[in-house]
Amino acid sequence: MPPAITAEQLSKTFRVKVRGPGLRGAIEALLRPRYRDVHAVREVTFRIDPGEIVAFLGPNGAGKTTTLKMLAGLLYPTSGRVEVAGFVPWSGGPEFKRRIALVLGNRQQLVWDLPPEETFQLNRAIYEIAPAAYRERLAELVTLLELGDVLDKPVRQLSLGERMKCELAAALLHHPPILFLDEPTLGLDVTAQEAIRRFLAEYRDRHGATVLLTSHYMQDVTALATRVLIINRGRLLYDGALDALVARIARTKRLELVLGGGDGVTAETLAAFGAVKSFRFPNAVLEVPRQEAAATSARLLAALPIADLSIEDPPIEEVIRQAFTHGVEEDDS
Amino acid sequence: MERWEGEQIAEWGVRNAEFAMQGRVRTLRIPHSALRILAALWRLNLAEELQYRANFVASVLGTLFWIGTALLTLALFFRHTTRLGGWDYWEVVVLLGVFNALTGVIEAVLRPGIGRLAGEVRSGGLDLVLAKPVDAQGFVSFRRLDVWRLTDFVLGLGLAGYALSRLGRVPGLLQLAAFVVALAAAGIVVYAIWVALMSLAFWFVSVENLSVLFDAVYEGARYPVTAYPGALRFVFVYLLPIAWTTTIPASALTGRLGPEIALAAAAVAALAFVLARLFWRAALRRYTGASG
Amino acid sequence: MSRLAEWARRYGALIRNAWLVDLQYRASIVLWIIWGVTEPTIALGIWWAIAGDGQVGGYARADFARYFFALMLVNQLTIAWDSWYLDRWIREGDLNYRLARPLHPAHEAVADNIAYKARSAGVILVVWLVAALVWPAVRLPLAPGRWALTALAVVLAAAMRFFISFATGLLAFWTTRATAIMGLHGGVALFLSGRIAPLALLPPAVAGVAAVLWFPYMLAFPVNLLTGSVHGTAALLHGFAGQIVWLALWVGAYRLAWTRGLRRYGAVGG
Repeated sequence: MPPAITAEQLSKTFRVKVRGPGLRGAIEALLRPRYRDVHAVREVTFRIDPGEIVAFLGPNGAGKTTTLKMLAGLLYPTSGRVEVAGFVPWSGGPEFKRRIALVLGNRQQLVWDLPPEETFQLNRAIYEIAPAAYRERLAELVTLLELGDVLDKPVRQLSLGERMKCELAAALLHHPPILFLDEPTLGLDVTAQEAIRRFLAEYRDRHGATVLLTSHYMQDVTALATRVLIINRGRLLYDGALDALVARIARTKRLELVLGGGDGVTAETLAAFGAVKSFRFPNAVLEVPRQEAAATSARLLAALPIADLSIEDPPIEEVIRQAFTHGVEEDDS
Repeated sequence: MERWEGEQIAEWGVRNAEFAMQGRVRTLRIPHSALRILAALWRLNLAEELQYRANFVASVLGTLFWIGTALLTLALFFRHTTRLGGWDYWEVVVLLGVFNALTGVIEAVLRPGIGRLAGEVRSGGLDLVLAKPVDAQGFVSFRRLDVWRLTDFVLGLGLAGYALSRLGRVPGLLQLAAFVVALAAAGIVVYAIWVALMSLAFWFVSVENLSVLFDAVYEGARYPVTAYPGALRFVFVYLLPIAWTTTIPASALTGRLGPEIALAAAAVAALAFVLARLFWRAALRRYTGASG
Repeated sequence: MSRLAEWARRYGALIRNAWLVDLQYRASIVLWIIWGVTEPTIALGIWWAIAGDGQVGGYARADFARYFFALMLVNQLTIAWDSWYLDRWIREGDLNYRLARPLHPAHEAVADNIAYKARSAGVILVVWLVAALVWPAVRLPLAPGRWALTALAVVLAAAMRFFISFATGLLAFWTTRATAIMGLHGGVALFLSGRIAPLALLPPAVAGVAAVLWFPYMLAFPVNLLTGSVHGTAALLHGFAGQIVWLALWVGAYRLAWTRGLRRYGAVGG
């Protein structure tokens, strides 16, 4: 099966005007403009197979959105090659655009003063969806997203979560095999986030769609993505499974203890076994080098009255933060 | 004098339109699906606008007020003269009616549609349009129809009709057809100017009020082009020929110009449309980074 | 004295800030200036054609030219966009953080006006000087006394137009059509303040209505002062008295709208 998305040596460079601070800088920029090249994306290469859900991670300004826009055909790359669903995006025209959906968490296409169904009807005309197919897909989306009550309310009366669900429905009516989602859960509460995640997983399972999403919420990533792409300052730092990333970066494991018996155990006692992350009797968290986790656990169990002990990876947020700041390559062991 | 200018413009327009359309006819093709999308968009708009019926009353009152001030201005001029650029009072009122009809098209379609392009370029809202399988220029241009503002169009034509009856001139069928063609051509020229002007937003992202430039120059179309003296005449007749968009249809209606002017107007409109299309494409290539 | 210095510092900072923002939008501002120039230019063109080689109501071509050049300058020096800003502040909630500052929002508006006027009037002055070099009709005789009086009349007119605009903008507390009301005011002012023609050319009945309202003091009076068409001490005093009375009345209207509006805003919320 050919890959759904291929990017080879993809680069994008913007030319921006530079301006000093204050009135003086403004006047200088007016009289003698100076420019600087910003390398938003540098030689990024990856492929995504049909049916994969891939998360695109990186701090603000890392180049995620620029890459997404190049994949969706909104921006021309400065150099490199892209192929999405068998098309070169920016020359694919309407045929290509019928095969993708673009959802931007901070922009909406729903008409503010009308019920969402009106926007759906508009998209039916835009994407030339046959009436029978439209009815069937709308029914499916309404069920999966639980939209029954909101279809006939004006968009301005909907909650943020309901609005996002409707945005997704509007974007998926034409059954695109490829979904580009930029921050689809931005600003939503936990329940709404979960609903969207459940929906995306279910939708992929039913229709085999390929999903590339960016998100700041790690739960989105851990719950949905089988694979992550980490990008920082325009460079691709990591491409692979989330577990493998954790194993590669995290040099430590966490031992979560519940102490039993008396209160003779102090922070000092614990410090002999590893770095004490938190201690509040009877709970304690120790951080130990990855390779020594098993041996240290055995020693702890032998030396202290322990009611419960579990070995965990550090929180994923911390791993990702480490990847951004120190890179991915440094730990090869 | 007027006839000479009209013919000259006609010849120039036909020559240029032929040149511009060589090999570019496909840009003028309207796919069938576009009409369906348009119907869906305008249905949506109508549903939206019907929620705000107060806007209808406000719009009618506003139109009447501004037609009133325009008529008073004319009355003021004609207190001190009997002719304006060779046109008598009711002839100028016909032109004012045409001006209002075009204003209706601008306010109902152009300003709420392509007029918001600059803001969307800045906010990134344009990206959602570009990701759709539609012609972006067509979608952005005609996505809105503020029906209430069409009161300007209707009342403008009504005013022109009334003025015509005061003149005691009943236009023949051919003359009427020439007027319809000339008015449509004027609408297309105005549209082309908006497209070209708004496309500048791709270069000057911080300029959100590009339409002000249009409003300023369009003020000149309130009076027949022959009314302007010296340098102003040069500006409005040759440099920024926006003033023709009212003078030509009004002349066709009152019989100042023969029906053949419609052909010239159509040719100029075709040329303007093609040029605007090319300019839009160049602008979009810049936005997507294709040109540099 | 130190209080004065403090206010000078505040206004300095506000004006500097306004200029910095303007520099970001300098192209926009050029467009507004073009817009402000075309209307009088078109009116001048039409009157120029009507006057021909004779006179209209005592105005020959050169008089029209001087009148409308003076009008352009005075209009840029006195125009106020505040109703549009206030309408937006109130509708979009930007008024909230302005109310939370220990500075009345009107000060920011006044500083904006000073910044805007200094810049756009500068542009028009340059245009006028260049025009005067090649076109004797628009030259003004050197008369420092008259210029000083004009400056005073312009300050009073600017203050009055500011309060009219600000008070009308405050109507946004009650209605969504505050800017439309300001637009209607502009439509009436087109005739009664002398924008479309010198007041002397209006039908006597209309001119009579204008004389008992504030419109002539917004524009026509300072323009006539600058072009030298205010003759005699009585006319001069009458003009200044009219400006002061109407300014006081509009300040009163603003205060009423501000206190009532804020009370309503506090009760209903933004």
